[in-house]
Amino acid sequence: MDIQQSLIERIHLGDRVGANALLDAWASEHGYECLLAEVLDPALILIGEEWSSSETFTLAQAYVAAKVTQDMLDKISARRISSFGELPPKGSVVIGNIEGDFHALGRRMVGTFLRAEGWIVHDLGNDVPAAIFVDKAQEVGARVIGVSAMMMTTARNVRRVREEIDRRGLTGKIQLAAGGAVFRVCPGLAEEVGADGTASDALGAAGLFERLWKRSVSKESDA
Amino acid sequence: MNSMERVLTTLAGKPLDRRAVAPVLSLYGARLTNCPLEQYYTDPVAYARGQSAVRETFQPDVLFSPFAFASIGAAFGSEVHFFANQAPNIRRPAIQSAEDWDKLVLPDPDTHPRLLFFREAIRRMAAEHQGQVPIAAVLPPPIDLPALIMGIETWLETVLFDAGGTQRIMDQVVPFFVRLANSLLADGATFIVLPCAFASPTIVTREIAAAFARPALEEALAQLKGPVVLHHIGAPILRHLDLLTGLPSTVAFALDHQDNLSQARRVVGPAAVLFGGPNGPNLGRMTRAQVESECRAVLENRRHDIHFVLFTSGADVPLDTPPENIHAMREAAESFGGIDA
Repeated sequence: MDIQQSLIERIHLGDRVGANALLDAWASEHGYECLLAEVLDPALILIGEEWSSSETFTLAQAYVAAKVTQDMLDKISARRISSFGELPPKGSVVIGNIEGDFHALGRRMVGTFLRAEGWIVHDLGNDVPAAIFVDKAQEVGARVIGVSAMMMTTARNVRRVREEIDRRGLTGKIQLAAGGAVFRVCPGLAEEVGADGTASDALGAAGLFERLWKRSVSKESDA
Repeated sequence: MNSMERVLTTLAGKPLDRRAVAPVLSLYGARLTNCPLEQYYTDPVAYARGQSAVRETFQPDVLFSPFAFASIGAAFGSEVHFFANQAPNIRRPAIQSAEDWDKLVLPDPDTHPRLLFFREAIRRMAAEHQGQVPIAAVLPPPIDLPALIMGIETWLETVLFDAGGTQRIMDQVVPFFVRLANSLLADGATFIVLPCAFASPTIVTREIAAAFARPALEEALAQLKGPVVLHHIGAPILRHLDLLTGLPSTVAFALDHQDNLSQARRVVGPAAVLFGGPNGPNLGRMTRAQVESECRAVLENRRHDIHFVLFTSGADVPLDTPPENIHAMREAAESFGGIDA
């Protein structure tokens, strides 16, 4: 069994200690600088595919994946080495829970998975007003804002971020991603609140941000 | 047949004049009485008035106690945020780690104002509707209650990685839950509804549901002095329904709108009541015709299932849901007609 499959198996079992031991052993031979790109990132892609297509993958298992990822990011950070070897970071993105929303778990997992993919993540926390999202995105040069909401009532507040982006003339340049449980159970809600895209789960966020970033660059080139 | 008779007859599996209909309208009473939500969720008189308005407007076959779990977390010291358009949420949990649990003082259901709010609301509802409309007390089950005190992430981490800490917490939570639930039953609740996140197949694995959730529920429910409905909490529950079947006191299962009702019936057996119907939080995004059509499809699916109640799945029906969409549920049941045994 290869390292990625072994890692996925331990995550399925909720075995955080075993997953850490496996990755540490691999890193001691190959180095932590290649760990994300060569092991963890491909494994997370496989887990994300399973989460989005399988009914049997659970939030608890995704949480274990996020904890193992964070454990590795911490170890890499402690060694003051780049997460992706010589590759530069992908860019800055902004995430947070929309005004009135205090359900942090999904957002924190998204932040961890985005960092593992090489994004510089500015996490604004819970209960963030629309203007603060856009202020931060302009300050750090983010092309994507990810807004999380758990409930139907708070999901509707995501529209305020859409309006703020448009009001400042940033339509297209700053892309709006919306996510959270309610977007999964209510098809069409993401479009209804003006989001440029959504993902069905936290692991799908990395692919979504990549697509939205490219769309922003392409729209700027067209302009 | 009044609502109480209709629900009890459903439980007994006898012929009905029509299906019982139970939209979750805990929140909606505030709209009908134009009551600010902070008052609605802290003043039992205001809450009971709202539920009287719900009954008068929609004639539901079940009335619900405050669906406000954050207020139970607040009784343990969690900080609550009130909204203009939804039930309160927890802004900041009372404790940040499982190690802090021992510092907690568990609230007394007989004296703590946050818990007395629930008890007094039920007493007032019971006094007004007793014998006519069943009153469902909605409570967090013991397997989820710690999430209201330490946050879902910390509780999930504890359940996943700290078996000793989990057990130590459950040793205190189960007796607290039993005492609170039995108090609500004594106050006039007809049954207890328990939305079960930490038994849900979207949240935890079968192994966790079997090794942690079921034993804890078994211990707690065996001590209850009234019937229980296990609720799906907003995600499909079918894949773990077998693990929840046969628990003490449990007479019914409230299913997600995505669950297959026929498969669920096969899993739970012929005697348990099933609650099924449209997605409550989405009800306002549908047209009246869509609600009626979806309800009729569900009723047709359950035509020969004597133990069935039409309800709204998920959380509360949102405040901005048009009243005609709620009326459409009862009208669908009325037009569908009587149910033979």
